[in-house]
Amino acid sequence: MANNKTSTVRIGFAEAAGEAQTSAMSRALIATSCICLIYSGAALAQSGPGGVSPQSADNRASGPADSTAPPGGAGPGGRRPNGAEPRESVAAPLAANAPEPTADPHDLDGVWLHDSLLVFQNSADMFGKRTPFTTAGRKVATRRVMSYKLGTPYINASARCLPPGQPWQMDLNFPFRIFQSKDRFDILFQEYHGYWEISMNAAKAPPAGYMGRSIGHWDGNTLVVETTGFKQGLWIDVDGTPVSKNAKLEQRIRKVHTDHWYLEDVFTLDDPTYYTRPWSWVRDYSWRPDMAVTAEYNCELQTGEKDGLDTSLIPEPENSQRTLPRKASRQIEGLRL
Amino acid sequence: MNSAIGTPRLYLRAAAVCIAICMAWSPAISLAADPSNLEGTWKISVPQASFSPDGGSIPFTAMGRQQYEENKLSLAKGDYDAYDMANARCASPGLPRLMLTPNRFRIWQRPGLIEFQFEWNRLTREIILSDLIPQTRIGGIGPKDEELVGRAVPLAKGYWHGDTLVVSTEGFDGTALVDNLVPHGSHLKLTERIRLKTRNTLEDRIRIEDAEYFTQPWEAVVTYRRQADEAFPEDVCLDRLAPGKPTL
Repeated sequence: MANNKTSTVRIGFAEAAGEAQTSAMSRALIATSCICLIYSGAALAQSGPGGVSPQSADNRASGPADSTAPPGGAGPGGRRPNGAEPRESVAAPLAANAPEPTADPHDLDGVWLHDSLLVFQNSADMFGKRTPFTTAGRKVATRRVMSYKLGTPYINASARCLPPGQPWQMDLNFPFRIFQSKDRFDILFQEYHGYWEISMNAAKAPPAGYMGRSIGHWDGNTLVVETTGFKQGLWIDVDGTPVSKNAKLEQRIRKVHTDHWYLEDVFTLDDPTYYTRPWSWVRDYSWRPDMAVTAEYNCELQTGEKDGLDTSLIPEPENSQRTLPRKASRQIEGLRL
Repeated sequence: MNSAIGTPRLYLRAAAVCIAICMAWSPAISLAADPSNLEGTWKISVPQASFSPDGGSIPFTAMGRQQYEENKLSLAKGDYDAYDMANARCASPGLPRLMLTPNRFRIWQRPGLIEFQFEWNRLTREIILSDLIPQTRIGGIGPKDEELVGRAVPLAKGYWHGDTLVVSTEGFDGTALVDNLVPHGSHLKLTERIRLKTRNTLEDRIRIEDAEYFTQPWEAVVTYRRQADEAFPEDVCLDRLAPGKPTL
């Protein structure tokens, strides 16, 4: 496993802020993220000037193993075998005297933070291969990028204060809290006052909603969560990489310790509507017991004026480009994500 | 004869000792008897849209009375957008109204923090205890972000006074109501005394102060009944939103 070549493609901050083609409702998110990044002040120096910068920091080729060792096999506190830094962080470091989580790999209770740079577009999988769009998937993704470039971004779930689905919800640089009980994981997010419930007993799982219906089980020390039944399609990132409501999302979550504690979450999306094969990406979430207090997210109040939405946003067409000018449609045909 | 009687007594004693050991060892059983353990799922005992003040009527100031009467007129017209953002837009009902939501809520207790997880529109409320770990901030000297901006559900500070959790809440933004009609401003101050009245009954005695709207502090008491521990279905208020119809 350690010898397998992998890469997690992340977008450098400069590109993200200046060049990445972002789509509907991304501006607010970009602004928020920028504030976070500027505020925290770390990592920017490490990220270097723009451009997509594949990093070989993660040796995750054969998927997560059942161990609290890091994916590449480095020992606690050390670098991974390829010499790369374990990961980049954009948050203030945790105080040295902060309490640690339990070493129990089945105990995920606590506060966690995605403190890596925001990925605006999942343009590759965790192995560095291009996102395997079907024709329909590429068409939707391109349309969304173009809609923003044309100044008429589409309305998406986050614009309407609706639950945006796990990938988006968990990609934001804000903390979330896991409350773990015998049969469940209740996960509370600051953003969108999000709530994700993972039931370890399918018989007791509530009906599917915007976040789908998530059933979990332990595979050794990895929590495997399968989510289906999404009420509507998702955007998995700011640019609008699509997920159909018929998709199956698997997450393999495990607790890892290197120089710090974090959760590794390998997402695998099986969605024949938009992708030619299941594909995976990975995110890490740091242990942050100091971030238990969350800010208020009274989203509905903020978007409640008149039609409830920024007037520059428009509804997304289902399966056509008819709402875009002909010139834009031609541009879309020529654009390849 | 004596030994025949003594043997069952010995078994009984042994069984009693075993039960005592099991009770002491089992966290679930011992926590259930702990009056400072509020964890569980709760639901308001008697659904109500407004608070009933202890000992009489609400002591409105002239401004408070005027606003209250205007709110009543707006309610009669179904014009929620004029005064009630929770029903008009699914905005947070704010405190203390959130404690009147008809759906369940769950209390989680963790070191330094008590979290209320409301079923209604997936809202939360946090109560900070003295042993909360301070957030690490780069160059973070001065007031914290959450202390700079008013909120519908401000951060609350709590401490234990015997078996009662005393909670003080200030820092409101003034966008919400005390209940479905009673107004308040940004100077609202709440002091709650939350306790287990019985193992399955939670009581919240709420003291409400706002000199702009009330001539004196007033109190109301709400009780909640323990519910089965079940996952909450995803509640999205916006899906229920319709002009002129309440969502709460």
